[in-house]
Amino acid sequence: MTASATGPLSGLRVLELADEKGQFCGKLMADLGADVIKIETPGGDATRTVGPFLDDIPGPNRSLSFWHYNTSKRGVTLDLESGEGHGLFRCLASTADIVLETFKPGYLASLDLGYEPLSATNRKLIMCSLTPFGQSGPWRDYLSSDLLHMAAGGQMASSGYDDSDVPNAPPIAPGGGNAWHTGAHYAYVAIMAALVHRTATGEGQYIDASVHDACALSTESAVASYIYRDEVVIRQTGRHHSASPTPRAQYRAKDGKYVNALTGGGRLDPASVRRLAEWFDSHGLAGDLMNERYQDPDVIKANAHHIVEEVIANFIANRTADEVYHEAQERDYPWGAVRAPDELLSDGHLEDREFWTEVAHPELGRTFVYPGSGAIFNRSPWRISRRAPLVGEHNDEIFGEELGLSCEELARLSDSGVI
Amino acid sequence: MALPRALQGIRVVDFTWVRAGPWATRWLGALGAQVIKVEWPEAERGRQSGGNTTPRDVERGLNTSGNFNDTNANKLSITLNVRSPRGMDLIRRLISVSDAVIENFSSRVLTSWGLGYEELRKLRPDIVYVSMSGFGHTGRHHHYKTFGPVAQAVSGLTFLSGLPDKPPAGWGWSYLDDTGGLYGAMGVLTGIYHRNVTGEGQHIDLSQMITGITLNGPAILDHTVNGRPSRREGFPPGNATHWPGAPLLNNYRGPTAAPHNAYRTSPGGYNDWCVIACFSNEEWKRLVPLMGSPDWATATELADLDGRVRHQQALDQGIEAWTSTLDKYELTESCQEAGVRAMPVQSSEDRVEHDPQLRHRDMYLALEHPELGSRKLQNAPFKLAATPAVNHRPSPLIGEHNRQVFEDILGLPHEDLVSGYEDGTFWPVDRARYPYMEEMLK
Repeated sequence: MTASATGPLSGLRVLELADEKGQFCGKLMADLGADVIKIETPGGDATRTVGPFLDDIPGPNRSLSFWHYNTSKRGVTLDLESGEGHGLFRCLASTADIVLETFKPGYLASLDLGYEPLSATNRKLIMCSLTPFGQSGPWRDYLSSDLLHMAAGGQMASSGYDDSDVPNAPPIAPGGGNAWHTGAHYAYVAIMAALVHRTATGEGQYIDASVHDACALSTESAVASYIYRDEVVIRQTGRHHSASPTPRAQYRAKDGKYVNALTGGGRLDPASVRRLAEWFDSHGLAGDLMNERYQDPDVIKANAHHIVEEVIANFIANRTADEVYHEAQERDYPWGAVRAPDELLSDGHLEDREFWTEVAHPELGRTFVYPGSGAIFNRSPWRISRRAPLVGEHNDEIFGEELGLSCEELARLSDSGVI
Repeated sequence: MALPRALQGIRVVDFTWVRAGPWATRWLGALGAQVIKVEWPEAERGRQSGGNTTPRDVERGLNTSGNFNDTNANKLSITLNVRSPRGMDLIRRLISVSDAVIENFSSRVLTSWGLGYEELRKLRPDIVYVSMSGFGHTGRHHHYKTFGPVAQAVSGLTFLSGLPDKPPAGWGWSYLDDTGGLYGAMGVLTGIYHRNVTGEGQHIDLSQMITGITLNGPAILDHTVNGRPSRREGFPPGNATHWPGAPLLNNYRGPTAAPHNAYRTSPGGYNDWCVIACFSNEEWKRLVPLMGSPDWATATELADLDGRVRHQQALDQGIEAWTSTLDKYELTESCQEAGVRAMPVQSSEDRVEHDPQLRHRDMYLALEHPELGSRKLQNAPFKLAATPAVNHRPSPLIGEHNRQVFEDILGLPHEDLVSGYEDGTFWPVDRARYPYMEEMLK
């Protein structure tokens, strides 16, 4: 692949009117090569007030959350409720391929900027509304947040602690803002399906996507356990929910970090116990596992607690989490260290795949390392092309150079708060 | 009249198994692609794994897993011994008339079969090939093996979930099978779109673990920009945005807020919990009268965010004293009507039976399965106005579509189908056949 190769979505123009719900979907399209124009309210969107911040000092161009979720986009500011702002948006939308919006249901339509008026002059337009609960239904206008979606979607009912680890623990909402990621992934699937359809027919369409629906889908077998067996799962520390308790999966290593080692239940047989014993023995930590009696499956079964809770737990307690992780994987055990996100920077595998991406911030005269992409496309790269836009950074470029407004008009629109 | 399908005319050869890969192709099928699942009963993973989800009154077998039914709806199934010369010839013929190939084997498996990307291209020059392995096909750890929970641990996702000074709570299911599966679908769709525009196919080499890392952006930037590690005092702060007593730092979920927590509701059962969050002083002011304006809540130090964060423990106690007298759905309704952010913690039963919104959105419509009866399947979380995604068939019985695929698509004479069952190409010779196979061979 040549360095000048363009991403798979190059040539597409996306107008993004999105807050925390949709900005990740816009980032995916932008990093994959689409020309994503983020349209913010004059002064900048509220997503710029979410921390952490550069040097812990808040400011519209200092939010690291905003930086991450808005790479590869261009940015303009526009007051859609003003007459001139309305007109400029109509003008942009008349040539756009995709509009991605996360306003309250009905808001854009109330401004006469819904799918019908926009597609009347642009029949190839695809418009995706990604909202908390969709465009209709009894919860349509309910307020939400990442925590609220994790509760209603079932993530919390599946995640938490064994009573032996944390007595009476609440259900735990996994961190990192993953309700928004889940909604954004499905919205991306829907938009791409509409694009594929458009390549065959030339016709765009409207998409009504719901974060709640998306989260409710994303708890693996929990729904099937209920539908087929009337079972409601329980929460367990660091491992799968289950209809009834299962053996633990996490062990504390010598350095205080944890290892996820799926050893419990019926996974131990004479051959795997022998391989474990030889590995542990090379560090003088095999306990009695080298004993020939463990070549009998019945003996293994009868001593499963001893093997797992004493020998394996003791081995891990005497090695660091990274040592256990790599030694296990080299021996074909699918174990993993529970790593903090920042501890991945030194992972050689990621270096080999050129995962980490240097992103220049010319306004600061600095370059920072960003997480790159989850896949390598061998013909059309998936990569960050630029840092997130500053507030209104491309107003001149887009309204001036592309839409042809004069400097005087731009200055007037800026003074009057339209842009 | 039935509406057209977005992926009409797209054929996908699906080698995926277990969960992540099949979750990808399920959605391609719902969107109208013809997904052909390639299986072999002696090397099968997915039809009986993922816990027991076979109904109590049905015998466990290859065709009776509920979880498989939901994960593999909208596909055709063929059985084919690709390790036999005849089987390999047929799969190569099938690939040559298909648009995409997708698999989630370990990194070197398909190449070892002689079906690496360069070979696939010879069969079909514009093929879109999506591989979904744990660590990707390149890099020093490409051979490492994962399950969802291990990929989550290694990617940093697990670490961000839990209470401080406790083991990580992590994710109570294979989140990276759900999400990794979506990336598989996203890869096929992106590749097909690109092919439609440029005429070129490509290999999309996904890593389940690495897709997880990309979901930790703010935590990673807090380190690469500010030098701050996630392994620190009071982190992760459970359901709160800030752990009492710890330095006031962002928790990577969103804005700092208080209240922001889970609270017990009546009658105190295992899943009788709600969550409440106030992102502004105005939202807090709307919550106070709902609780009956108790003295503790009207205290001036709680009027602003700083004070509520500082007095979070007392705040949470006071709120829970109120919520624990209420049903979680009633509480949600009265809070939301007053403009306060609240939701019930919903179990799977709650979602299927009690959630009025999911019902309104038709998220669980039933389809008839020959062994499992009429069962609800999970529907798409988006509505495409012109080309809706729909579950149009339950999961296939193993090898159910051999005749359709080999005779109708590849033009194999019927006698060759019959002889392929006799020589072990379509089913192991020493394994009992299902009645529908005998029916097919008549």
